Amino acid sequence: MVERASPLGSDFRPGSYGDFVEGTGVTILEALKGSIVEASAWPGEEKTLAENLSAICRLKLSASPGSGAANREGTCAFNIGPGRFIVSGQGEALAGVIIAAIDESVGTVTDLSHGRAVFAVEGPKVEWVLAKLFALDFSLSAFPVHTGRATAHHDLFVQIQRRGEKRFELYVFRSFARAFAKTLRRASEDVGYAIR
Amino acid sequence: MSPRRSTSGGLIDRTRTVRFTFDGENLSGHAGDTLASALLANGVSLMGRSFKYHRPRGVFSAGVDEPNALVTLLRGGVREPNIPATQIEIYDGLRAESQNRFPSLAWDLGAVNQLGGRLIGAGFYYKTFMGPVIGPLKGTRFWMMCEHFIRRAAGLGRADYEADPSRYERVNAFCDVLVVGGGIAGLMAAEAAAKAGKRVILAEQEPVTGGFARWSGETNEGKQAHEWASNLTARLASLDNVRLLTRTAVWGYYDGNTLAALERVHDHVARTPKGHPRQRHWTIRATDVVLATGALERPIVFPGNDRPGVMLAGAARRYAAEFGILPGNRTIFFTNNDSAYEAAATIKRAGGHVAAIVDVRARISSAASELATAAGVSPLTGHAIVGTKCGKTLSRVFVQAYDAASGTLSGDARPLECDSLAVSGGWQPVLHLASQAGAKPVWDEEKQAFLPPEPTQRWAGAGAFLGTFGTVDALGSGRDAGLKCAGKRPSRGKLPEIAPEPLDLTPAPVLEIRGKGKAFVDFQHDVIADDVRLAHREGFVSVEHLKRYTTLGMATDQGKTSNVPGLAIMAAARGITIPEAGTTRFRPPYSPVAIGAMAAERYGDLKPERYTPIHDWHVDHGAEMTPAGLWHRPLVYAAAGETVEQAYIREAAAVRRSVGIVDVSTLGKIAVKGPDAATFLDRVYTNTFSTLKVGKARYGLMLREDGIAFDDGTTWRLGETDFLMTTTTANAGAVMQHLEYCLDILWPELKVHLTSVTDQWAGAAIAGPKARAVLERCVTGTRVDNETLPFMGIVHGEIEGAPVMICRLSFSGELAYEVYCAAGYGTLIWEALMEAGEPFDITPYGMEALGALRIEKGHVTGAEIDGRTTARDLYLDWMLSKKKPFIGSGLMDRPALIDKNRLRLVGVISLDGQKLGGGAHLVERGTPDEPGESIGHVTAFCYSPALQKYIGLALVRGGKARHGTRAYLSDPLRKRFGQVEIVSHHLFDPDGERMHG
Repeated sequence: MVERASPLGSDFRPGSYGDFVEGTGVTILEALKGSIVEASAWPGEEKTLAENLSAICRLKLSASPGSGAANREGTCAFNIGPGRFIVSGQGEALAGVIIAAIDESVGTVTDLSHGRAVFAVEGPKVEWVLAKLFALDFSLSAFPVHTGRATAHHDLFVQIQRRGEKRFELYVFRSFARAFAKTLRRASEDVGYAIR
Repeated sequence: MSPRRSTSGGLIDRTRTVRFTFDGENLSGHAGDTLASALLANGVSLMGRSFKYHRPRGVFSAGVDEPNALVTLLRGGVREPNIPATQIEIYDGLRAESQNRFPSLAWDLGAVNQLGGRLIGAGFYYKTFMGPVIGPLKGTRFWMMCEHFIRRAAGLGRADYEADPSRYERVNAFCDVLVVGGGIAGLMAAEAAAKAGKRVILAEQEPVTGGFARWSGETNEGKQAHEWASNLTARLASLDNVRLLTRTAVWGYYDGNTLAALERVHDHVARTPKGHPRQRHWTIRATDVVLATGALERPIVFPGNDRPGVMLAGAARRYAAEFGILPGNRTIFFTNNDSAYEAAATIKRAGGHVAAIVDVRARISSAASELATAAGVSPLTGHAIVGTKCGKTLSRVFVQAYDAASGTLSGDARPLECDSLAVSGGWQPVLHLASQAGAKPVWDEEKQAFLPPEPTQRWAGAGAFLGTFGTVDALGSGRDAGLKCAGKRPSRGKLPEIAPEPLDLTPAPVLEIRGKGKAFVDFQHDVIADDVRLAHREGFVSVEHLKRYTTLGMATDQGKTSNVPGLAIMAAARGITIPEAGTTRFRPPYSPVAIGAMAAERYGDLKPERYTPIHDWHVDHGAEMTPAGLWHRPLVYAAAGETVEQAYIREAAAVRRSVGIVDVSTLGKIAVKGPDAATFLDRVYTNTFSTLKVGKARYGLMLREDGIAFDDGTTWRLGETDFLMTTTTANAGAVMQHLEYCLDILWPELKVHLTSVTDQWAGAAIAGPKARAVLERCVTGTRVDNETLPFMGIVHGEIEGAPVMICRLSFSGELAYEVYCAAGYGTLIWEALMEAGEPFDITPYGMEALGALRIEKGHVTGAEIDGRTTARDLYLDWMLSKKKPFIGSGLMDRPALIDKNRLRLVGVISLDGQKLGGGAHLVERGTPDEPGESIGHVTAFCYSPALQKYIGLALVRGGKARHGTRAYLSDPLRKRFGQVEIVSHHLFDPDGERMHG
């Protein structure tokens, strides 16, 4: 097995940063995903694709806008547009499994396992920090656990899935990972943050 | 400590002394003071100079409406001008300067402008500098002569040339109910909405909520009103569904109930804590909005109404009640309504002396009479102030009998001694946000004020905003507005008990007392009543014209104290009513916003930069990186002592001699998948892709719909329905957008999916005669010989155990391959290729060498595909299929696009051995000073190590027809003029033998 290099470089060092007067507001880490794919359904096949992905990944995924799901093994999926889903998991084989399993009559699957960097941001101040970057309502009622959103921070496309009450995973283009990490860190300074 | 501070009272913390400087003088105040209150407490009555006439000015208000006391703050070596002293909370070490004066505030040379009087009235510039029809100052010459001096004198305050090091940030917020204004009404609205379970944001521009309750002296539920407000605020703050934002001015109301606010997070402390912003820009999206923005007191316009010592009556009351400061030793009140009587009583209670109350009304209410008695005076009704006298400070006013009904003065003016004058011309609800939201305010004749319009967005008004100025009304309307926004009916529940309010704040319709001398309407822009009448006489009668001709209401205070009086004067001049005269539409911002707050984090080092997977290797190996769009790419890998030119020449020569390697990860890559993918590509490319075999790549050209060349690149067929399209680095986003447009709008029936995979793949191009030998040393799982991997062929293999995809194609004109791998293996593969190339002295090369190699070969890039050229201009017409339509095919043959005199691609060679210049013009003949007509321009140039000459590509009229001719390079900006030869753009290896070898 060949080891992948992180896109984040040496600046993204574990440690504690910012203003810690009131403790650590958020923890930021690179969520390592063995597989990331974008699965897209042909018009009319959205539900079938969601069902197929659910069956392959053992998820309860629906085709409704913003829907999402996750299982205990860490495989998760969420909707990023009409008939489009991001699916990710720990195993590197998952991408190949999904690509092989989705019939071309239903849609297409593109491997993005190396093309996206994923940040996990968690902690009591996570909604506050993310609100600085995105025009999204991060309250639990508006953005329930497992659901997803496709959005942007300035020129940077970001796809976000809520993975817990106080945890979000943010998918960015790999080449932007360092710049986004810097932005994320800067936004977290006032609440104090840790990198793990 | 202070000549003006009362011995007790106020809400300031008298146990904490705060030291600051004003114009270099050491002064002190107390925690809770504003700069204005602290200066007043120190006996400073002169705080600024007016804009045009440089008249001495003192503080006029106590809040956001301050037009006079604008100061410059000095923070960390940076100047911030035009901040109202009423909005500055003092802190230890605060440094403030007065502005618009020279050499000092007390002795200002600019005050000579006062002698100019009428000469520099409204329209001064337009009239004075038109110039005579004849003579030496004809036309605009006089203006040109004076412009320098006028520009030096113009402006208010002085901006800094230094970069602002402060930190700003932006934040988004969503809520069910946004309450704008934290006064009594706002607090009640927030509580009602919060109790109904709504998510509430309450924004208050002052440091503390409570508004009028802080200085009213009233009691609510048996408590001091300010205590009641504090308790309610604390209860709200304890609720999870309420966010309290103090020091936050909501300054813009936009469509979709989106509002903009500025939070002055740490302007009130000397040092911003680590990681915190100085100011924060809020974008708030609210389902419903409660506008509880209160009301602002209006002045009365009369001669000499701008003297230091003249202030609004409500401001005098607030300074006394909230800050424990008396406006003067002898204060006179001048009013057209009852509110000034409360202010007078407050001053008296605070220990001040009320010298007189002058009221334009012939009769006043009994409640007002009682307050006058409490203030220790008998009101002088049916009188008006017609003038003031002032040395350094106000010394007396002149009073004359006045008939409010007819607006006439009678009898003689008599002086009254005083050192402060408090004026009230009634109250105007703050409608700015409602106006911004899209509706026109409505004039109320009885209240003599503009009132809120019918909402055009989801907002509800509360409190004084509605034109009801009593506390009971504020409590009730606030609660009802909160309930309404929560989807509930108005409550009949008991409201907090308050002391009775018998006063009637309805003013007499008197906003101006005409007399001799300058009577100021807009204090900040020095617009006087006669300016408004002048505008009327000269035909600028529309309020919009009035505003622009006189600049009334256009200063940083946005006319908060001047709009209604100005309108009233114009209406009187026209003989019409105020509503007939109309009102202007308020525009954002309600109060000034630092540009830094709007730019927030999108400047400095927080930029959306892109790095290739191999970036660190480049940096570690001495690459000089250069931005290419958002990407960072190696320019050259200069050895010690090498210039950029020397480095790229060495690198390019190494490619031609042996082998080089360049990072091409930045090329745009789009996965094009689906059963109709080939059909789709046939339509977007000028050439055919449906015939491309799996495992092969083809060079493609796209046109825009207007027939102009758009982008080029290779597309690889990885499967029957699976293509990998590459684009130029710069156009990756534009091509993706274009393709998505085509699929979504033009051909939605096609079953094709597009996914950006630029970042999925790392790419390295290996070029040079030894390129194949390098691959043979490291690639496993496939052969790379000519049969297995012919030109434009694709193979899959492994390097160091990582899967790779290799395509044989060339941008350099050499035998070359592009090796793609998953991005996470990019550096691994790069290093493996470097190691495999060691025996051949493999040389990494950057963009400069890449450019030199492609110029030698005549390959085009964005410099030639510049949005103006066609495929024929670039001699790419061989790629224009005649068998199928494609995007651009319908318009590419328009006469203008096939004109033989169009600029077309050629090569150029410098004949004098000197560099060419990108963008330099080519001329047929001429001299350096008179170069003659341009026949084209150089698009790219380099020193060619292969040809040992400076060469370039150019777009020249006639193109190929000029091969073998000579021309001159004319580049006046770089002071360059020299002869060139025009040749084929295929400058090196025109038959491509090296590439196919």
